[in-house]
Amino acid sequence: MASLYSQARSISYPEGFTLMSHSDIYKDSVYFHYSPSFKYSVGLEVAKDDYFDDEYSFFRFTYLLNRKNTQNSQSNLYFQSGLDPENFDRHFYGLHGDWETRRWFVGFGYKESFNDFEDFSEKYLQFGIAPYLGKYGDLHTWLMFKTKKNSLGDSWSTYPVIKFFKGDFLIELGYNNKTRTDAHLMYRF
Amino acid sequence: MRLICLILMFMASIIFAEKNHDSHEHHGHTVHQNDVYVDGKKFKLDKERFDEFKKNLRDVQVAIINVQGMVCDFCARGIEKAFLKDTKVKKIDVDLENGKVVIAYSLNKKIEFKEIKEKILMNGQNATDYKLMKI
Repeated sequence: MASLYSQARSISYPEGFTLMSHSDIYKDSVYFHYSPSFKYSVGLEVAKDDYFDDEYSFFRFTYLLNRKNTQNSQSNLYFQSGLDPENFDRHFYGLHGDWETRRWFVGFGYKESFNDFEDFSEKYLQFGIAPYLGKYGDLHTWLMFKTKKNSLGDSWSTYPVIKFFKGDFLIELGYNNKTRTDAHLMYRF
Repeated sequence: MRLICLILMFMASIIFAEKNHDSHEHHGHTVHQNDVYVDGKKFKLDKERFDEFKKNLRDVQVAIINVQGMVCDFCARGIEKAFLKDTKVKKIDVDLENGKVVIAYSLNKKIEFKEIKEKILMNGQNATDYKLMKI
């Protein structure tokens, strides 16, 4: 099962590398990507899927369809896709977007995934607030709510998420009764 | 449900506290901001920050650039990296709060706004205008 975590910060600054790891009740994965420009990134994700009891990898491609900058905000719309090089029947594509100021964050995403077992879709909405505004280089903190639905499940799952961000490191932790812990680590260089 | 209500109340209290904090600080802040003059014109900058930037800098040209879309450290980091590739850049400071990038260039650098704009656009942000001063 491909997760939605790596939609956040899906493209780095030009010539930037990003290493991400994610762990939740469905899968554990590591995703490494390179951004030749701010418009797109290419990368490889390796996953251990606990839901389908499977292991696989994806070549991933993310493209920035649209960005709008204002003095205090930035909004983005991305196309994302992934293809298993050993099994072309396993692939996914989708859209995700965000609107962000230094104080507020709103994000959304929709993804269709295909595999040998059962196709499924995922969608999410995320809202966040920064309780204080740090300067460049400070520790930044975000308090967020995420609500998501996977078509393999039966209902929306809503839970709080806390995100810490300093320098090149980011850690995001979420917890709910159904999906247990969502942990997302990221290092950019 | 109770947890959601509690968290919403917590977030609302943070917003309220932050608004109050901002309104108390504004008087003090105006003293520090809007008092950097370039060619006789006021330019909104944090004066303490700018003074710190200028410390130990001699015989340089300083470009103060207004940038749109600089909302997080990753944007700032990208801009910093892009400009530091230029050997004529002596120092750079990114002020997220005011949406400014301040760059000290050596005097033999011919500074063109077109080049600055392109570098910032390559990083995904927009430079809207700039001021140049000599120190």
